[in-house]
Amino acid sequence: MSHTFANGFNAGRAFIYATLVFFALLYISPLYIILTTSFKDIEEIRSGNLLALPDEPTLYAWIKAWGSACTGSDCNGLAPFFWNSIRIVIPAVLISTIIGALNGYVLAQWRFRGSDMLFGALLFGCFIPFQVILLPMSILLGKMGLANTISGLVMVHVIYGIAFTTLFFRNYYVAIPSDLTKAAKLDGAGFFSIFTNVFLPMSTPIFVVTIIWQFTQIWNDFLFGVVYSGSGTQPITVALNNLVNTSVGGKEYNVDMAAAVIAALPTLLVYVVAGKYFVKGLTAGAVKG
Amino acid sequence: MGAIDIINVTKSFGDTPVLKNINLNIKDGEFLILVGPSGCGKSTLMNTVAGLEDVTSGQINIAGRDVTNLSPKNRDIAMVFQSYALYPTMDVRRNISFGLEMRKVPKKERNQTVDRIADLLQISHLLDRKPSQLSGGQRQRVAMGRALARSPKVFLLDEPLSNLDAKLRVEMRMEIKKMHKRLGTTIIYVTHDQIEAMTLADRIAVLSEGIVQQFGTPYEIYNDPANRFVADFMGSPAMNFIECDIEDGRLIVETDGQDYKFEVPDRDVLQKSGLKRVVLGLRPEMITEAKPDQKRQFTQEISMLVEETEPMGADTMVTGLWNSTEIQGRVSPEAGHAAKLNDKHTLLHVDTSKAVFFHLETGERVR
Ligand SMILES: Nc1ncnc2c1ncn2[C@@H]1O[C@H](COP(=O)(O)OP(=O)(O)O)[C@@H](O)[C@H]1O
Ligand SMILES: [Mg+2]
Repeated sequence: MSHTFANGFNAGRAFIYATLVFFALLYISPLYIILTTSFKDIEEIRSGNLLALPDEPTLYAWIKAWGSACTGSDCNGLAPFFWNSIRIVIPAVLISTIIGALNGYVLAQWRFRGSDMLFGALLFGCFIPFQVILLPMSILLGKMGLANTISGLVMVHVIYGIAFTTLFFRNYYVAIPSDLTKAAKLDGAGFFSIFTNVFLPMSTPIFVVTIIWQFTQIWNDFLFGVVYSGSGTQPITVALNNLVNTSVGGKEYNVDMAAAVIAALPTLLVYVVAGKYFVKGLTAGAVKG
Repeated sequence: MGAIDIINVTKSFGDTPVLKNINLNIKDGEFLILVGPSGCGKSTLMNTVAGLEDVTSGQINIAGRDVTNLSPKNRDIAMVFQSYALYPTMDVRRNISFGLEMRKVPKKERNQTVDRIADLLQISHLLDRKPSQLSGGQRQRVAMGRALARSPKVFLLDEPLSNLDAKLRVEMRMEIKKMHKRLGTTIIYVTHDQIEAMTLADRIAVLSEGIVQQFGTPYEIYNDPANRFVADFMGSPAMNFIECDIEDGRLIVETDGQDYKFEVPDRDVLQKSGLKRVVLGLRPEMITEAKPDQKRQFTQEISMLVEETEPMGADTMVTGLWNSTEIQGRVSPEAGHAAKLNDKHTLLHVDTSKAVFFHLETGERVR
């Protein structure tokens, strides 16, 4: 009995695993090609097999992509733009997350006349296409003197992100019974001390979700970056595009590949470090006391 | 000093009135029980006293001071919620001391208070745990501890025991009663448990549809209900209500094919009222097994066709028809057993000395 069961079990499993492995390979093959190519020199790329491992692995392409590849007229590699992106992403993520947390806290726990309508209106912000706000936003940035600045880009990302961050936090906090806020009010805590003492400590999962979401969105943004940045304030996505499109002499595929990995590395890293919280946060229900 | 005066308090959510002109004067140190069906506004009334909801109109005084526009933290009130509402990320110690912390009580003093209260409630061994690591009864104690920590003027308890099992509920009920005796703090306590209401209360306020139906001692509420609603709501099993014709100040009751004329103490009242028909209210314990040696004024022996018997342990409920209305009597288990065997026609003893009467349409008392 248990024997036949085990056999059927194994056959089924084998098929499932084979399918899984096939699709996993299919999905990972571009990454494989990108990585192997980035460690080859240009001779080997021209002559060799696309799928082969590098004969003599070299860091040449990585060093060039980081420090000396040409992005348009400058030839300083991706490094300056990497730091631009960092300088855009960190404040934009933090500010939009904090505002979202406070918004969500108010909309869930300090209801007022019309608060549900306000939330509905905010939700609408999640569905506004980027293209629609390009022109008015650029006029606004110009009037504020923030055109082509890092601060301007931070502001755009914060405003665009608030709808999402508010949605995340509001839905997380609305599941927390209002008795908790009432009890804290009677205990003498005010608006902010209730937030910091009662709500913040139970918010780790939703913070992780929001930060990952915002980080990925803003780091990967191209459209806002290309429209609102100046020559010295471009984010890495725009620089990557310029790097690939600038060819001095022949096309250096190895440098392009290394540059692509450098541009994608931070988001990958964020998922690896915080990914398990991401899943936990998305599935976490109400906090039961 | 913690007298509470609730004066003409009205509360509406949008266009929906929830509290309608509530007037209650609760004396310092009194244990007030608020009862009423679910959705009648008990929690809303508690919240207005606590300051968690604004009143639409009216005034609330605590210890003679108008607190109507004061925020919750300035009313010197502590509340125990049905859900306990313990802070999930804080350990028991911090849950209890949080109110003191917010009021800037020095740490040393806070710890002393927590230790004293933990000792009192026998939760000293739980101080380092999180609420999620506690049983229902333990959570209930912590919620009580949090309320006790600040020694407030007034305690508000909103169905504090309704999430506990029956045995624990009885235990905690006694503890709350003892605690009230010792501390003498004014308490407003919401419950829908009859026995909780009768055993704990100095006075009971019966609420229905946002209106105080009656405000009185447990004795008054039980024996002298203001209207049919109160009579029906208080007491378990519920009072019997029988529509009867009045004849010469006596009540005509037909049962088991026979007409009886019940003599009642309020004969003049019935005669003067000029009513032809009235609703007779008679508690089940006034209908017992026949007691031939206990014939007094306002007692009557009748024969009833017992349709059902329902043993409850100490007593057995017997069901029959009076004027085509189902009524219940409360007899000894032996009499109940006999009623089942005896071809079901059973002699019963009816005591009408505590009978009450209600208007057919309005349900108000005829007095
Ligand atoms: N915040 C609110 N908004 C609108 N209606 C409410 C609100 N709170 C309570 N109510 C309504 O008020 C009525 C009384 O509620 P409540 O005081 O909780 O009743 P109880 O505690 O007696 O069961 C209910 O009909 C309820 O739906
Ligand atoms: Mg309630």
